[in-house]
Amino acid sequence: MKSSNKGTMLIVLLVLIALGGLAYVYFKPQMTEMAMTPAPAPTTAPATTPEPAATPSTTAAPTTEPATTAAAPTSSFPSGMPAPGQKLRIATEGAFPPFNEIGPDGQLKGFDVDIAMAICEEMQIECELVKQDWDGMIPGLLAKKYDAIVASMSITEERKQKIDFTDKYYQIPGRLAAKKDSGLTDTREGLAGKKIGVQRSTIHECYVKKYFPDSEIVLYGTQEEANLDLVAGRIDATLTDREALDSGLLKTPQGAGFDWLGGDRDDRECYGEGAGIAVRKEDSALRDNLSAAIALIRGNGKYNEVMKKYFDYDIYGSP
Amino acid sequence: MSLHGYGPHLLSGAWLTVELGLLSLLVAALIGMFSALAKLSSITLLRFAAQFYTTLIRGIPDLVLMLIIFYGGQIALNQASEALGWGYININPFIAGVLTLGFIYGAYMTETFRGAIMAVPRGQMEAAFSIGMSQKLAFRRILFPQMMRHALPGFGNNWLVMIKATSLVSIIGLEDVVRIGDMAGKSLHQPFDFFLAVALVFLALTTVSVILLRWAEAHYGLEA
Repeated sequence: MKSSNKGTMLIVLLVLIALGGLAYVYFKPQMTEMAMTPAPAPTTAPATTPEPAATPSTTAAPTTEPATTAAAPTSSFPSGMPAPGQKLRIATEGAFPPFNEIGPDGQLKGFDVDIAMAICEEMQIECELVKQDWDGMIPGLLAKKYDAIVASMSITEERKQKIDFTDKYYQIPGRLAAKKDSGLTDTREGLAGKKIGVQRSTIHECYVKKYFPDSEIVLYGTQEEANLDLVAGRIDATLTDREALDSGLLKTPQGAGFDWLGGDRDDRECYGEGAGIAVRKEDSALRDNLSAAIALIRGNGKYNEVMKKYFDYDIYGSP
Repeated sequence: MSLHGYGPHLLSGAWLTVELGLLSLLVAALIGMFSALAKLSSITLLRFAAQFYTTLIRGIPDLVLMLIIFYGGQIALNQASEALGWGYININPFIAGVLTLGFIYGAYMTETFRGAIMAVPRGQMEAAFSIGMSQKLAFRRILFPQMMRHALPGFGNNWLVMIKATSLVSIIGLEDVVRIGDMAGKSLHQPFDFFLAVALVFLALTTVSVILLRWAEAHYGLEA
């Protein structure tokens, strides 16, 4: 066994070379892809037109990317629609009530699920729901385990590097909560010197730092911890999205002595663009059809019908 | 502690965990045995291949391997099938899970079996060959029964680690008991109840395993 040392070193070297090769194979296609599509600008175009009721044909026009030189991945939906007999496979998580959750029998339900079904009905296509753990959500889409993600996924620049999003289908505003009759006001001066608790590295941290620079900002690992400290009196107010605060604190027994502080908070820079449906980059025709379907169900009342089932306020946010 | 009617669904997840664990164990034991024999073989190429395998697998986190094999493998398969003009070929998550777990834990089994084989005095095999036993017969009658008593403690250890590692499969889309417990707990805002139930399921599985292992150790004469 004298040669074992040399052998091990050789193996370590080989492994490193193999990993380098793997990394090259994985990253190379992404880099060329990014170089080929310099600006994904057309996504903002439909948002400015309030009623793009039946314009899937026009939205399909700007996406003329016949730059299919060689290695560009081919779309699974060349026409933007599933072929006859082909199902659109939609993934959701099943662990984010009331947006997506499971019933006792394991069946998926929730706002995301109902919206996905309404969209499929509007597009007159057959859909199939797939349960997918959050950590594997984007890899599964890229590996074509499913074709779209309707799982309350926020549209972020970081995610846009790898996948594509439709227009938003909801955007819950942020809200502050504080003790009832605290005498606080929700302005920079009103909260000066007061302690505001938020969850670390969230959109809400961005917001409080921007709008309440005179307050003392206390960061927490989870919103539950911030809620507990609010109840315990260690902080004066907390900011998170309206739904989380409503179901996680105000509607619970321990939240009895607490109430909203001010109205909805909205800021494009911090809060981004809301939650969209994610698709693979090459399926841009599908993306445009899904965006058009979202606009259609917003227009014909189906969206509001679903929304009223789960929320007693408007979760779409500003158009 | 109430499971709010999610009990049967949770049990179906527990069953998947058991199935996955046992099949993976079978794959891991087979790979481990062959790889251990390869490591001790006189053929350089076999030794080298086995050394490469155990170094690579034991050096990378399970989760990362799972992602590389399941998603990376699927992407590579997609590119290959697209280039050849075939349609989409789906990798079945259950089979992928069994093979991946078996492949990973096979590397740990290799070392367990290698140590066990080395613990059997060399003279035993030499004696077997000297009375004309073939390699296969000598392995079955002489080496295997003697090495098992040395392998079992490590084997049991690997099994207990592996049954808990089965929860990794939730990220490749399988609904094992941990994933269902997680979903149900979050759906009802009662994660603690469900994770406690999941913990009890695992404790039951590992307790049964420990009892079976003790019986196996007695069978191979380690209790004496």
